[in-house]
This record gives sequence, C-alpha cells and structure tokens, in this order.
Amino acid sequence: MHLTDVEPGTLGPCPVAPDALQGIKRQQTNPGRWNGPNWEEFAAAVRARGIELRETPAARAAFATDAGGTAYGLAHGVVIARSSEQIARLLQAAQQYRVPVTVSGGGLTTEGESVAFGGVLLDMSGMSRVLHIDADALTVRTEAGIFWHSLAEELRRQDLDYLSAPLNLTSSVGGTLGVGGIDVNSARFGCSADQAIALQVVTPTGDIAECSDTHNAELFQRVILGYGQFGVITEATLRVRRYTPLRMHYFYYASLRSAIEDLQLLDRNDASDYSGILTIMDCAVNVLVAFDSPEREAAFMAHWRPRLSAYGELGFGLRALIHYALRPWKLREAWYLLERKRELFPELRRSEYMRDGTMLDRSVVFSRAVWKFWGGRQMVIPDLATSAAKFIDAVERGNAVCRKFFPHYTLYLVGIKLRPEHRAHYEMSCIPPDAEGWAYGCEFEPMLDGGAYSRDYLQSFKNEIYDIGVDLGASYYRFGGMMKGYIRRVFGDALVDRHLALKRAADPEMILNRHVIF
Amino acid sequence: MFGFPISTPRPRKDYASCSGCGLCLLVCPVWRRSRDIGLAPLGRAKALQHGAVAADIAESIQSCTLCAACEPACPEDIGLVAMTLDLRRQLIQPAAVPSLRARMDEQAARPLAPRPSSSAVLLPGQALREHPGTLARAAALLGGMSNIPIADDDGSDIALALEAGVETPAQRLQQFLQPLRGLKNVAVADGLLLRHLRQWLPGSKIASLGLALSSLAQVRRALRASDLYVIEPRAYHADYQRLVKHYDALRSDAGCTLNLDLQRIAIPASARSLAQRLEPETAADIRDDSVQARWILQGRNVERIVVENLEDSAAFERVSKLPVVHLADLADDGTS
Repeated sequence: MHLTDVEPGTLGPCPVAPDALQGIKRQQTNPGRWNGPNWEEFAAAVRARGIELRETPAARAAFATDAGGTAYGLAHGVVIARSSEQIARLLQAAQQYRVPVTVSGGGLTTEGESVAFGGVLLDMSGMSRVLHIDADALTVRTEAGIFWHSLAEELRRQDLDYLSAPLNLTSSVGGTLGVGGIDVNSARFGCSADQAIALQVVTPTGDIAECSDTHNAELFQRVILGYGQFGVITEATLRVRRYTPLRMHYFYYASLRSAIEDLQLLDRNDASDYSGILTIMDCAVNVLVAFDSPEREAAFMAHWRPRLSAYGELGFGLRALIHYALRPWKLREAWYLLERKRELFPELRRSEYMRDGTMLDRSVVFSRAVWKFWGGRQMVIPDLATSAAKFIDAVERGNAVCRKFFPHYTLYLVGIKLRPEHRAHYEMSCIPPDAEGWAYGCEFEPMLDGGAYSRDYLQSFKNEIYDIGVDLGASYYRFGGMMKGYIRRVFGDALVDRHLALKRAADPEMILNRHVIF
Repeated sequence: MFGFPISTPRPRKDYASCSGCGLCLLVCPVWRRSRDIGLAPLGRAKALQHGAVAADIAESIQSCTLCAACEPACPEDIGLVAMTLDLRRQLIQPAAVPSLRARMDEQAARPLAPRPSSSAVLLPGQALREHPGTLARAAALLGGMSNIPIADDDGSDIALALEAGVETPAQRLQQFLQPLRGLKNVAVADGLLLRHLRQWLPGSKIASLGLALSSLAQVRRALRASDLYVIEPRAYHADYQRLVKHYDALRSDAGCTLNLDLQRIAIPASARSLAQRLEPETAADIRDDSVQARWILQGRNVERIVVENLEDSAAFERVSKLPVVHLADLADDGTS
C-alpha cells in the first residue's frame, strides 16, 4: 500500500474511502507534539526583537486546553499579543526558525484548535482595546482580541450594540470572524463574520496588511472564515447598530420537526427579529422569538403567531401533564423536564436583566445560563450545517445519535442568512455550498455533568454526528482540530488541495495554526 | 477557646472546577489593566489545575484586589476570594507583615472594649475615621433618633490581616468579637471584613455601610438622576444575589447611574493590590485607580459622583472635576 508523502504539520489526503469507516469507532486525531528543534535559538531571537516570551510552567499551563477540555497540549512558550508590529516580528522569527504558532482568542474552541501542541501560544486577548466608534456611520474599529462582551460594554456607553455575535460573552472578535459566529439574529443579519467591513491582518510571513472586499480582497476572503490559516486578525472594522432591548417570547413544541418547520417559516418571511430553537428534550422544544420594537412584535402576533403550531407555556404544561399521566412509566422523564424548567426558566427571566418586560442583554442572559447549565471541564458540541431543505433530516438523524449516546442533551438551532456578495468568503467554511438564501446550523450538546465518559466515547459520538454530514453533503462549524479528518470528506480533495496550495504559498513553513485544518 | 474558625470559610467549589469560560476576565480590574490572563482568576485556576503551586503564581496572587467581582460572575460558583486568600497564606509573607502582626499583638494587649449600649454598632474602618465629619453624619443617619455607637475597635488590623493571608491570633480575634456578640445589627465599612463577620457572628445582621445608608429614605431622596452612584464592590459581591435587587430598586427609584456593568457586576473604582494596601506610602501606584475610574466614567453623562467608600473618592478626584460626595454627606448637601 502506498501512502502519499505528507508534509509535516499537515494531514494530507485521506487514504480511507469516504464511506469505509461508517459506524466504526475511531480514535481522535490529536496532532503530534512539535518536538522543539531550534527552540532555544528561536527564543533568543524573539527576545532580541523585544518580545516577551513566557516559558514558566504556570504561564504555559493557563493555555493547556480549550473549552472542550478533551485536547491537551503545552506550548513551549506564551506570547501575549500587544501590537500588530510585535506579532509581525514574532511570525517572521517563527518562519525563520520553523516554530509553530498557535493563536488563542477566548480559548472557546472545543476541538483543540486553540491549544498549542508545542511551539508558541499567541494569546490575542492582550489586544483588546476599542480603537474608534463612529456613531454616525455605525461602525467600530477594534483590536481583534477583544471579547464580544467587552466590545458590547463599550458600545453600550454610546447606546450602540454589535449586530450579531455568539451567545458567549468571552468569544473573541478575531476568533469569531475566523470561523463564523452565530446569534439568534443570524437569520436576519448573517453570521458574525458577515459583519466585518475591513480587517488588519498580520500574514504568516509577518507582513501587516489592511484588507476588505475592495482592498486586498483575496486576503480578506481567505481570512474571513479561514480558521486562522492565512493570517492573524489584529484589528477589525465592524458594523454596529443602535441598541434596543428585546421583547422575548418562548413557544413550545412536542416535536422537533414542527418546531423547525415553524422556525423556517418565520425566517423566510422575516417575521421576527430574533429566532432560534433550544431543546430541553426532543419532546420539549422551545422556539424563541424576539423583537426590537413593539411594532414588529404586534405584526408578528397579528399575522404569524396564529400560523404557528406552537403551545404557550401553560398549554404545553397541560399537554405534558396529560401525556405523562397516561404514561406513568415515563415519570423520570417528566421529573427531569420539571426540574429543568424550575432551574433554567428563572435564570432566563432574572429581574436585573429585564426592564418593563424587555430583556436588556440577550448575550448576558443566555451566556450566563449556558455556562451555568451546560458548562464544565469537558464539552463536546458537534454540529451540522445544512441547506434549509436538508435541515430537518439532519437534525432528526443527529437527535437519534444523541439519544443513543446520552441520557440528556440539548440542541441549539438557528438560521443563517446568506449574503450572496460574500459567497467567496464562504468557500470551505461552515456555510454549506448548496445552501441558498439561508443555511441552518444545529449544535448537539450532551449534558456531561456528573457523567464519566472517555474521550474515545465522546469522539465516537462526534464521528457519528459528522458522518451524517458526509452523507448529506452538509458542512460543520467545528471541523478543525480533532475533527479535521472530515475536511476532505465533506469538501473534496480538489477544494482542499487548492486551499492547501494557497496556505503553502502564504505560510511557507506552515507555522501558523498548523494543526487546525491541514 | 472560641469555636469560630480563624481561616476563611471553605468554598463550595475550588479551582479544580474551573471550566475556563473566562467570565471572570470580563469583570477583573487587574485583567482590565494588564490584559494578562495569568494575573486573573482564570490564569490562577488553570495554572493550579496543571501542577503549579502558590509560589509559581505569586505575582498573580498578590496582585488580586479582592474586589470579588469574579465570584458572582463565575458560573461554577467557585469561592474565588477564599481561593486567593488560601493561596496568599501559602506564600512567603510580604515584608510589611511583621509590623501588622505587631499591631495586632498591641491591639490584643489593650483592655476589652466596652459593649455598645445599643443593639447596633458601626465598624467604620480606617478611611472613614480619617473623615470625622462624614463618620459623625453616618452615625447620626444610622442611629435614627440617636447616634449609632461607633466601635472603638473596628477590626481594621484584622481586615488587613485577612487580606494579607496572615493568621489573626485567637486572642486578638476574641477581643474584637466579644463586644459584638449578641448585637442585632452591625454596619461595617470594610467589605472583606463583612464577609467574615457573617460567619463569625451568625446571630447578627451584618450589613455594609453602603447598604445601610442607601436603605434610608432621607438618603435615597437626596440622590438625583444625574448622579453616578458608586457601589463598594467587596460587600456588594459578597451578597450579590440579594443586593443586585436592592441596587436595581435604588436605580429605579432615584434614576441614577450605577457603577455596574452589563452583567450587573460592580466595577471597582479603585483597584489596589496587596502591596498598595500594606505599604501605601512606598507602593502607591495610582495607575489602577485611574484606569478603573476612567472606565466607570467613560461615556456617562453625570454631574455628581456619590461614593459608598471614601477610598473611591480619591480615584475619581484624580480623573474628573466632578464633585465627589460620600453617601453619608448626601442628606446634608445643601444642593440636594
């Protein structure tokens, strides 16, 4: 058997037929640790260039894993990002000494993408100043290591808000622009990466470049949704908007299919300003719908609410009561639902985050709840991103996999409005190539709290979810790191090889985030 | 011997539970100044999870201001203040500690303070004692018809020892607590001391000076919609679940602006490290205060700053020309 020669730090073509491992338990694919040749010379060169390089165990340990908590690695040294010039000098030295550089923003990857398996860990949170807010043009220029919530704090002082960002307070702007970012208003505004107007990027060879759709467009297209392969985003100009509190409504469903049908109905007709699905169980599905203005809310209530097959909270409660009264053997399920409602619902309605019936900060409310109820030392969140037509099938099949592996789990589903003018950005990204109008994403998040699961078990679960994507011709949000074995299967060799050639041209020594994609 | 614990109460969870969410960074004044994860609770927890010991992260441990903003932000409910104090106890003590020990010994040698004549007492702390007029007004306001007694021994040395991770001699602690036992209400200006008094005096109602004063109708009436009201963060975060509602109601009643962020965590106006508290003359560094006070004021259209903690006054006076007034002085403010 002949195996193709593989360049160090790259995965190379998959030698296994795409359908050869269906249903077979596979091991995760942590990259090998870079063993540190030239490290001492590199470290001396970096320090000579005025860069603080931290090599103490404590400094390196702070970045030993990511939010997933299943990939562990130690960098040889940590650099806190302070300026574009500093990063340029670092990357120039890294090219010269062939030292890998792994970039971490909020560290919220789940597949080890922001974990350094040797080499340098570049902590972008050191660059997190807001540089300029233009309240008239509704734009902000910010350093890209900033957390979305820190950006929101500054924007709010001028009665502004970002357009869309992950419902996670400590996602970084740069990291999000590199992978996508979804919010409950993505069905209207697109993914977070769509909000970027211009970027400052330090290329893998250490050049500092400004780029946008009209200037250095090819660099812009590759860096946006580029999984950190083509440069370090150091500054970003983003669209922002006037701040408005949300008028939130929750609707309840007993079936995933009918909830998704209604979600897509709302999205197609621009019936709400925010929409998404969050499940407690697959028989207790919540569609959240929210509005920026009473006018939009009233229009929804008049025209669209009657068309939904949803229950209100009371109606769903009565339905559940009858359902479980007739099925006493399912009392444990009923008890779980009741407990979940008791714990979770008050958290979503805390009085300090509400005013006059409106929710002041959706990201605060949801992010705090997410970390409180779903967070932990380990998290696996495989996902599927499909066209609208394939979405119900993908979710139902993924739900069946969740049921097989875990007693309890949550699904988070949102639509993503596609921007035809951004088609070039979407290449080899979470946006599936066959999606038109909207793409849909579903995260499958098991509740691991209290359970003991091996990494192989978790990896098998992820593989089964991702196999659905291969089968359906879908894409994924988290296809890097430990899941990169799926990249060639979903995107095909031709596209991946083209991107690999671009990567080699941009990053001759393959030093930047080398283990993430290739 | 007394039956109360001398060390900090054990947290429900410790650093091992840190999931790395990073929410503590968003509220940490040290992180805001340094943008260095290693100096924030997240960095300490992750370092400890991966084999570091206290000495490896000494700079981080000492730089913590104990504002406790990270505690209500932490979704894992980790006792972050207790964790930091425990770590401080494991470190070689700063040079100023012997003088602090001597101060506690000297205090312990004094006769027991008389028991207050009323069922309530005010522990004003060093900063308020340095402003006798404000202290007198606070005592008058809290006393209603008559002044609330001001404790001669307000435990300032014990508060500093708690902060430094220095064990308080049992005799000193006994001497401090004995006159307070059985009192119904204790108002305390020091937020770190308040946290411990709750454990040491379970039968008493322990309230921060800010909470006690801001609950008074005459004080609330004196607040204006154009005020920036600066909550003392240590006491606020020690009782966050309850006080977030108290201050939300205060904001709603008075219409004033609070030093709260979007998570409703108090932004500390001053952020002094341990060294700055132990040796203010030699280690004084006003950068922290400037960063924090500027951030609180950024983009806010206010005409007056009302502080619960006098230590915050100086921070605002350094960065702003706005009048700064203590809560206790509000009711006497002729412009109100």
